[in-house]
Amino acid sequence: MRNVFSLPLIYLSRVLFLFTLFTIVSVNLFAQKTVSGTITSEDNKPVSSVSIKEKGTSGGAISDASGKYKIDLKNSKSILVFSLIGYASQEVSVNNLSVMDITLYPDIRSLDNVVVTALGIKKESRKLGYATTTVNTEDLLTNRTTNVMESLEGRVAGLNITPPAAGAGASTQIRLRGQVGFAGSTNSPLIVINGLPLDQEARNAEGGFDLGRDPANTQQRDRGDNLQVVNPDDIESMTILKGSTASALYGSRAAAGAIIITTKSGSKNKGIGVEYTSSYTTQDALNFMDQFQTMYGLGQNGLKPISQADAAGKGQFGWGAKLDGSLVPTFDGTMQPYIAYENRLFDYLQTGSNFTNTVALSGGGANGSYRVSFANTDAKGIEPRDEYKKKIFNLGLNQKITDKLKLNVNINWSNEIQSNAPQIGVQGPGSVNFFTRIAPSISLSSLKNSAVNPIDGTEARTSSFQNTLQNPYYANQAGQNWVNERDRILGTATLRYDFTDWLYLQGRYNYNQSISNIESTIPYGIGTSVPKNADNTYKGFYNITEEKRREINADFLVGGNKEFGKFSVDASVGGNTWRIKNNAFTQGATNFIVKDLYSIGNGNVKSQSYAFSNRRVNSLYGLAEFGYDRFLYINVTGRKDWFSVYNSSNNQVFYPSVSGSFIFSELLKNQKWLTYGKLRASWAGTGSANGVDPYEGILNYDINAFNFNGQTTATIAGVNAPNVALTPFSVDEKEIGLELRMFKSRVNLDISAFKKVTTDQVLPVTVSNTSGYLGTKANLASLQNSGLEAMLEVKAIQTKNISWTSSWNNTYLSTKVLAISPGVKDFLLLFFNSTGVEFLGQIHYTEGLPMNQLYTRTYLRDANGNILVSPAGRLLATPDFKPVGSSIPKFTGGWTNNFTYKNFSLGIFIDYKFGGTVLSSTALNLLRQGMSKASLVGRRDGETGLIFPGINQATGQPNTTKVTDLQGFYTDYRNLQIGDPFIFKSDFIKLRNISLSYNLTNLAKKVSYLKSFKGLSLTASVRNVAILYKDIPGLDPEAIQSSGDIRAGYENTSLPTVRSYNLSLNVKF
Amino acid sequence: MLNSNYMIKIINRIIFISAVFLFAGCDKDFVEINTNPYAVISIDPALLFAGAQRTVESGWEVENTIAQQFVNPFNSGATLGPNFNADIDGFNNGRWEGSYPGSLKNMIHALALLKGSSNVNLISMIRIWKAQIFMGLVDTYGDVPYLDAGKAYTDGIFYPKYDDDAAIYTDLEKELKESIAAMNPAGDFVSADLFFGKNAAIPNTTAAAQVAKWKKLGNSLLLRLGMRYTKVNSAKAQALALEAFNGGVMTSNADNVYVKYDGVVFTNQRNYNITTINPRLYYVAEPFVNQLKTSNDPRSGFIMAKFADPNNPFADNSPDLTHANQYGVPVGVISDVLVNPPYRGIRGGGYNYSQINIKSLGSLTAPTYWVTYAQTSLLLAEAAKRGWIPGGDAAAQTYYENGIIADIDTYAQYPNGSVVSAAAKTAFLTNPAIAYNPANALKLINTQYWIANIANGTEAWANLRRVNFLYPALSTNLYNKNLNGGFIRRLSYPDYEASNNSANYFAAVKAIGGTDNLVTRVFWDTP
Repeated sequence: MRNVFSLPLIYLSRVLFLFTLFTIVSVNLFAQKTVSGTITSEDNKPVSSVSIKEKGTSGGAISDASGKYKIDLKNSKSILVFSLIGYASQEVSVNNLSVMDITLYPDIRSLDNVVVTALGIKKESRKLGYATTTVNTEDLLTNRTTNVMESLEGRVAGLNITPPAAGAGASTQIRLRGQVGFAGSTNSPLIVINGLPLDQEARNAEGGFDLGRDPANTQQRDRGDNLQVVNPDDIESMTILKGSTASALYGSRAAAGAIIITTKSGSKNKGIGVEYTSSYTTQDALNFMDQFQTMYGLGQNGLKPISQADAAGKGQFGWGAKLDGSLVPTFDGTMQPYIAYENRLFDYLQTGSNFTNTVALSGGGANGSYRVSFANTDAKGIEPRDEYKKKIFNLGLNQKITDKLKLNVNINWSNEIQSNAPQIGVQGPGSVNFFTRIAPSISLSSLKNSAVNPIDGTEARTSSFQNTLQNPYYANQAGQNWVNERDRILGTATLRYDFTDWLYLQGRYNYNQSISNIESTIPYGIGTSVPKNADNTYKGFYNITEEKRREINADFLVGGNKEFGKFSVDASVGGNTWRIKNNAFTQGATNFIVKDLYSIGNGNVKSQSYAFSNRRVNSLYGLAEFGYDRFLYINVTGRKDWFSVYNSSNNQVFYPSVSGSFIFSELLKNQKWLTYGKLRASWAGTGSANGVDPYEGILNYDINAFNFNGQTTATIAGVNAPNVALTPFSVDEKEIGLELRMFKSRVNLDISAFKKVTTDQVLPVTVSNTSGYLGTKANLASLQNSGLEAMLEVKAIQTKNISWTSSWNNTYLSTKVLAISPGVKDFLLLFFNSTGVEFLGQIHYTEGLPMNQLYTRTYLRDANGNILVSPAGRLLATPDFKPVGSSIPKFTGGWTNNFTYKNFSLGIFIDYKFGGTVLSSTALNLLRQGMSKASLVGRRDGETGLIFPGINQATGQPNTTKVTDLQGFYTDYRNLQIGDPFIFKSDFIKLRNISLSYNLTNLAKKVSYLKSFKGLSLTASVRNVAILYKDIPGLDPEAIQSSGDIRAGYENTSLPTVRSYNLSLNVKF
Repeated sequence: MLNSNYMIKIINRIIFISAVFLFAGCDKDFVEINTNPYAVISIDPALLFAGAQRTVESGWEVENTIAQQFVNPFNSGATLGPNFNADIDGFNNGRWEGSYPGSLKNMIHALALLKGSSNVNLISMIRIWKAQIFMGLVDTYGDVPYLDAGKAYTDGIFYPKYDDDAAIYTDLEKELKESIAAMNPAGDFVSADLFFGKNAAIPNTTAAAQVAKWKKLGNSLLLRLGMRYTKVNSAKAQALALEAFNGGVMTSNADNVYVKYDGVVFTNQRNYNITTINPRLYYVAEPFVNQLKTSNDPRSGFIMAKFADPNNPFADNSPDLTHANQYGVPVGVISDVLVNPPYRGIRGGGYNYSQINIKSLGSLTAPTYWVTYAQTSLLLAEAAKRGWIPGGDAAAQTYYENGIIADIDTYAQYPNGSVVSAAAKTAFLTNPAIAYNPANALKLINTQYWIANIANGTEAWANLRRVNFLYPALSTNLYNKNLNGGFIRRLSYPDYEASNNSANYFAAVKAIGGTDNLVTRVFWDTP
């Protein structure tokens, strides 16, 4: 590589240098006459960056910040062409004038339609051969959510946002045009903030058993994502590059699309302005839990508890006697009435809140502008002690160093402190796990006031599932503590030099550093009655982890454009190097000498580890756009990436794309109803290098930290067999689209159809553990996401005082596994019941079926479809696990209505998802443990057992055998893994948001001491107003644990969802 | 234009920086970048062997429960297991998961690293120990992956085929014999060997001393392997027993294969659950208690005890060790029934029954014994009794009594253990229930083998099947009537093999007779 590319670059730099010199000199040599003037817009504001060209020559100029220009002409009778993206071009004869002031008018055919595309290149929308959506940033401000992406749920066709119910600082799931890889690969789009590309990095709760296995508690708590560092008040623009053609220039990071965010950096000639925004939100847990039975109490076999020990041994079961209010022993030794407490979870939870204040200072002069903002968020989750605080400092700076050299600097610094994020999706810890699975007749006050065993300070035993049903009051009272503090700095400096009005060179340096520190304390008595270890030390865990990640992205771009009559060319070449270094220290201690002191020093047994990784991707790319007469455009791009993590024989990949747009309305100018019409088509080959970590191809060894009786011992490190033959996987996407604006843009339609095929994914493959290893990675399996996106916007009313805009977007998505590997048709990703955390089902990828396919065993049925039962009247299961549905919804969309009346504006937003499947662990546990209404079947009034409606397998006749052991009967669902009663559709229609804003600016200006206010507005909004339709009983279908894909269709002890009420004030002065 | 020179400088610098960044080579240094500077990428294979030597493959709740030494009577929820004749994956898989991705992976890898090496003693030790592990796998599951096993990295075999159990035994025999023959007293000394190396419980400093111990171990395992053929091929059993005997088996407790734990960093993982997680769930089984009780066995106090609160045994520093007060939980009886008469009901936070003495045998600092002189001597007693090795009843009695005494003596190595007085040992050996009796010799010998393997459930259970559960103390477990005869003869394969290694798994199920369950027999366990 070195020889092939370094020489041309050196030549290129020399050519550029000479060319520059020539240009500068030539301007001076051949000037004959000069014209100058000021360019303004309709509203009399100066317009900068307007290109002024002398027709038929190569001469040109650009207007400055105050709209002034000066051009040297060859011919005093020339025609000057004034052009700027977004404005209609004008041709004006000079006619010997020396001063010409020009007013530019917006180009109505491309209103507001400059789009920020890949690499930050701004292009007129008309030239794009692929779909993009520019987010209405107003929506982000009137529908505030702690994580900015959550407010986009349902708003953009092709964008599927799925927020887990995971606490105050949680991540969201972001999927563009389906799921590009199987669960486990990086399926979220690339996030580009001011040119700095970063992964979303959803640090979601993917399930992990608490004690010992994961002392840092990272797998059972959602630790947010990188979009948490973006303050919606700072966002200038957000563009969604849905397809991989749009993102093709990001090569191996483009597979899942991209979200391009530009933050504000002030405007020129604006003077100093201050903006202050204050927003307060409260959140209430939504209680759909109407499934608890209130007839039977703690116990088994229809009996009341007879002693304290009996009560403490059966607290996990609601198979006791009928509740009668009589006094019975409880786990804490008191006698208490035998009655039901159905609201314990919601009495335990609290009201959440979010208080965010942003202050921004901006200003601008002739040569530059700046904006600096600071935001502070103080949020509390609905889980007691769940707190999330963040501070975001954002700086944007534009400076013109010379007429041709511009500097742009963006710095974003954030500090997040996440404390006691709820433990979800796990057995053991977690309030939802506990309160849904502890017998209904135990009072919340007992659980709270008797959480601690007074004798030795351990957790008072409330059930026989002692370690798997941990009383959250104990954790709270005994001092369980978990804090994750994260600091991140994102810095970008861009230097751009415009050689001429058509040729520029840009160099950019991005720096992204994050430090995450997790401190975790698990007190000695959690989930056990034995406070001490055999060596007389106290149990418990203390762990401190510090992770540092440093990424550098440095790139350059040389670009130029030229018009030749009706033809235009716009081409650029560039290169990028991406360097990532991670290191992490972990220190842990157990076996504590001094009671209740959790520190490294106090631990008799200590552990430490240091992880390090270094990775690099180098890239070269180029793009070219060919236009004809402003209605026909072809764009081609190409990028080659070199990866350090792959073996040198297979470490490079080329990623091409081609797209075209045809603005047919240019040929139909007589059709007055048609304002704008465009057809587009594209193809791209992109990919992803995700899924392979540095050093993975090399087997290494662990030397045990402690000598065994003086002897060093070692083992092979890790459980996976390294595979050196891996290559990056690829994605091939085709897309066509139609864009129409009709009736003066009152009715707008945008439709896209796409088909995206992923091949050769790098997948973790479970192998037979008899091979010595549990897995390896391999390039295998292909899959397809195809779909149809539609957006229809109608500006129904547009008068001076009243307006109504209604817009509907819908995505139809079809996913399909095309192949696994030769001879293999099915890929088992996870058997949930073997995780020790979940209870039911599996997730598979099966040839010919949609992605993320959930499997369970089902009722055994005869040829006529009748359920078969055993001669004993018990359940029978199919021998095989069968597909029961995909977690991925087929239809997603939303309907937005915005009304304005004078200074009021009202937004009503409804969104929906249809066609997904969810498997409910909670429903299973409630049934087998005797907690749910469903578990009453067989013991309702007058019933003495259950004759399950089915056919006796032996006789072929209807079942007549009564089962009296209901617990045993219902437990069979779990033991046999029969999923039928726990499979639901995740469908919903939600009245997602209502917001009301009132612009008080004019009112304020009437008050003498508020005259300095440039703007004042108030917004009130309610989020998750109502669920208009759902299928799953007892739960919100969105109450899922993780923003990842592995448990996407799995409901297991996530928090309830919340309704939030927000009030925001925005002041500008 | 005044600054054109300055600008040109800047432009040149941008280009130069870009060029340097990138075009010094698009993949220059990538090999170096992708090498972890902190990872251990080459290793002394002896250290891998040492790591494998302390891997414990199984816990109390499976083989010891099938052998009716131990009981977890708690049947609510997911803890149904062998005590309730239930085929529960989580219980069946312990040995499998401890072996294949544990000790075997490291040993097979070490052997691959040692290919062509002259360290014949290290190689032979690994082969012997690997044979011991595979024997346990065959005895537990029957046909298992053998020739293909452990070779994902070295040979790219991700889906090993299963080998016939009898064929594996034939190869294990070959492995043992070849390794014993190959070991060289003048060859390499394996200092890292946890059994007989420099830092072992029984330390050695020379290859000659170490090799002598390993030859005894090899022959003792050959004796064990040979005796397995008792029912299926007694001629072969006889020949192998004699060959092992002539080759030289273990002759004292100084030949025992065991490791010790410091109890803090390294603990006896087998005892983790019974001491640390809900001790109230774990008890000694009635047949075993009755055996020790009726024979006034001096080992009883080290093995079992009654604690004031079964849920917090640590709190009781003087548990009741009196023989008469020990009661075992009857097998196959659920916990809800145990609380009512005729059973003994509740005591503290648990049930009113004897538990494993967590201060001694059940301690986290208790050593792990794998192969002992006591086992070996008792096997010799049976071989002598059967006339397979010389000496007849007289020799059988000597081997029998030596075996018992050797086993009693091992308890001196346990925490809170002590040396049992010679008088007490003599008294025990003359107890009519214990004293050698030619008419009842096989029962007596194997009953002692049962007791001697309290800490080695796999061997206790295998031997019971070998001699058809012939001692009086045992009772059939008819809990759900789904085992023919009330005893588990085999554990089923891990469920995940059906999906992770599908073709080979189904071929194996077919080969063992079509059903992968608890009553299919391994090849040497003929009815």
